[in-house]
Amino acid sequence: MSNKAARNLFIFGSLFFFVIFLALTFDTMGKLDKRAPVITEEVNAGKMVWHKYDCIGCHTILGNGSYFAPELMKITEKKPKGYLKQFLIDPKSTNARATMPKLGITSEEADKLLAFLDWTSKIDTNGWPPKPILATAAGVGGKELSEGQRLYQSLGCSGCHIINGIGGTTGPELTYIGSKRNRDWLFGHFKDPDKFVPKSAMPKVEAADADIEKLTEYMLSLK
Amino acid sequence: MSIKYESQKIAEYFYTFAVVLFLVQVLVGIIAAAQFIWPDFFILNFNTIRTLHINALVVWILVGLMGATYYVVSEESETELWNLPLVKLQFWATVVAITAVVLGYIWMGLQPQANSPIMGITPLNEGREYIEAPRWADVLIVISVLLFLFINFMTMLKTKKWTGIQGTLIGGLVFLALMYLPGMFYAKSMVKDQFWWWWVVHLWVEGAWEVIAGALLAFMLMKVVGAKREVVEKWMYIEVGFVMFTGILGTGHHYYWIGTPGYWLWVGGIFSSLEPVPLLLMVWDAFRTTRESRNVTNKAGLYYTVAHAIFNFVGAGLWGIIHTLPQVNKWTHGTQITTAHGHLAFYGAYVLLVMSMIYITLPAIRGVKEFNASRAFQSFWWMTISMVFIVLTITGAGMVQVYMERLMGLDYVAIKANYNLWFWIFRAIFGVGFLVGVMIFVIDFFKLGKKPMPSVSAAPEKA
Ligand code: HEC
Ligand code: HEC
Ligand code: HEM
Ligand code: HEM
Ligand SMILES: [Fe+2]
Repeated sequence: MSNKAARNLFIFGSLFFFVIFLALTFDTMGKLDKRAPVITEEVNAGKMVWHKYDCIGCHTILGNGSYFAPELMKITEKKPKGYLKQFLIDPKSTNARATMPKLGITSEEADKLLAFLDWTSKIDTNGWPPKPILATAAGVGGKELSEGQRLYQSLGCSGCHIINGIGGTTGPELTYIGSKRNRDWLFGHFKDPDKFVPKSAMPKVEAADADIEKLTEYMLSLK
Repeated sequence: MSIKYESQKIAEYFYTFAVVLFLVQVLVGIIAAAQFIWPDFFILNFNTIRTLHINALVVWILVGLMGATYYVVSEESETELWNLPLVKLQFWATVVAITAVVLGYIWMGLQPQANSPIMGITPLNEGREYIEAPRWADVLIVISVLLFLFINFMTMLKTKKWTGIQGTLIGGLVFLALMYLPGMFYAKSMVKDQFWWWWVVHLWVEGAWEVIAGALLAFMLMKVVGAKREVVEKWMYIEVGFVMFTGILGTGHHYYWIGTPGYWLWVGGIFSSLEPVPLLLMVWDAFRTTRESRNVTNKAGLYYTVAHAIFNFVGAGLWGIIHTLPQVNKWTHGTQITTAHGHLAFYGAYVLLVMSMIYITLPAIRGVKEFNASRAFQSFWWMTISMVFIVLTITGAGMVQVYMERLMGLDYVAIKANYNLWFWIFRAIFGVGFLVGVMIFVIDFFKLGKKPMPSVSAAPEKA
């Protein structure tokens, strides 16, 4: 191959691939809005707050950003809004071990951020993040889940609590809770955590009394 | 060794600024590493420290490449640079703008409310990774780069030599400048925001910058082992051609999970797994050329050039391909595996590139006949060994994270505080080793040729 041929291959080949890339970009732009909910003024305002405080300097969103703190794309599915709002305004007020700094986020800003994060949680991301296969397998294989275990999963308790090494770190570990608290305490605490622990960041359990009973039963079995 | 044109000396201004920023980058990198162990370690929060770390990195490499370009264009065009005072203006304007941006980051770090939007634009920090620089700074950067391109273009017009090397170099730089623009507008949708953001980040490091690296590699092989122009230029075209053919559509490896259509899994998966091919060609090119020629004029320069080719392939190619297929990336996306790759790729591809250019052109600029290369070798080994261990450590942290968070469903906060703690500690220790290497380099940079040295790396009069 002569130098001139190699040069032409480089120039025209690059242009060729760039044109394909532009065509794909054009097609993608037409499809993006259908793959996510409508962007309201509040969602957009939340995105501005996101940029203002440089949240991406610690967190990832849609998997891109920094790896210092958890991914936030689906956070509003995992944790209740009330708790998240309290956390954003003053992280340590919900959990003394929180290390996210108090950035000065106002109450309105927190609402906007949560509207934005609600929006991101509903984007069609081709199935990302994947469901943890080992955790799913642990639930299916072995023995049947009890009624209480199922409630524990469906009510999202494991977003904040650890049992046998799995779960979130916002609240205390529950692996041995059965030997720490009695039935009345647990039941009452579920109905209204604030009555038992002042300024508790644990959300009230929104379920029928019968279900709360089953949940309490499950807690008592953890010894 | 000596320069042919007086104005080539200007490269040293750019190198000096680059070297100072390199030192700053690594210092703040160590602070960031310490904050993984003690989050409250420093007055500035992690996000500000990280912003300084990655911005210093990108800027010093760009500034270093600017200096190298002025040198190469003057040499290849066989003439003085067009309008030297304007070059100096471009240099000082860049220094002032960068300093202002850095002060802005620190101000915002101390006082987050100072970044409240003014007419919908955040004034100190855009809050987007790598392109945190606020809009007013974007404009200044574009002006500086346009001026830089214009001066080089006018220099080439003086003699109209249009060599392949300088054509490719300028082509890569124009592409670089153009690819800054997609990062300069606001998108209401976070999906579109990230879509265009990757045009800047990916098409820079895996497109424009690799083209520049290919052109400079050809130049360095000519200078340092006296390789024949026709041969190096032909391989250069083939290498940078492949970079573009695979790298442009390879952008798709960032469009798997951000809300983009599913066909990107195919496009990105196929093209990005071919991206290591041109990088391997560059390694082969460096070895073949070196073996063919016996008259090595600058041992340190050659050493860095070959190391650049190798680590470009290992960091970008190997550490890239391990997580580029969608089936793997689904689990590793946004974990410490990405950090490991980012470090080795940037170090191998661009840190070593700028350092090779410095070791090849600085002796000529300083008019040194021979220089003692022992410090160059020492700093190389301190840096390279430390970086390899940082990367292995963080790859380990990434594997633990993928297993525990993505497969078992544990919270990242728990993993970070418990299971990965020792990885953070080792990274910080190796980081100090890296800093030692950088300090040896900085000393060498300022002392090279200033004092007569016992000859180790002999350099004949003409390269
Ligand atoms: C200096 C780093 C830093 C910055 C900046 C930061 N965060 Fe965090 N964030 C953390 C860390 C660390 C955690 C993990 C929990 C903890 O230890 O506090 C966290 C946790 C969270 C959580 C989850 C709380 C939970 O219980 O799961 C949310 C929501 C959150 N951050 C939102 C934000 C938003 C929104 C911003 C921008 C306004 C932001 N963060 C900026 C470090 C940061
Ligand atoms: C948003 C986070 C969050 C969620 C979701 C959550 N908790 Fe909690 N939980 C906490 C916090 C914080 C505490 C500590 C304060 C307190 O005791 O009220 C706590 C405390 C507890 C305690 C008392 C632990 C002790 O050692 O005293 C139990 C039991 C408990 N939670 C069970 C549950 C169950 C069951 C669910 C699911 C229905 C659940 N939690 C959901 C945050 C949460
Ligand atoms: C010199 C060239 C390269 C450099 C400097 C580089 C650097 C980086 C950096 C810094 C990131 C992280 C971006 C972020 O902060 O979000 C990244 C991500 C990535 N790179 Fe590279 N890279 C290079 C080449 C390659 C190549 C050749 C491949 C593939 C073969 C590759 C595959 C990837 C992938 C798949 C990701 C995404 C990781 C994730 O999903 O989190 N890179 N690269
Ligand atoms: C020349 C050498 C270096 C280069 C090229 C480099 C490059 C980078 C890049 C590109 C990033 C952002 C992308 C990512 O996280 O994937 C980053 C982040 C980071 N760097 Fe470096 N770095 C270097 C040296 C160091 C050193 C010596 C340390 C300290 C030990 C360090 C510590 C960090 C930390 C802690 C982060 C944040 C990672 C995270 O978010 O989890 N870096 N660096
Ligand atoms: Fe990429």
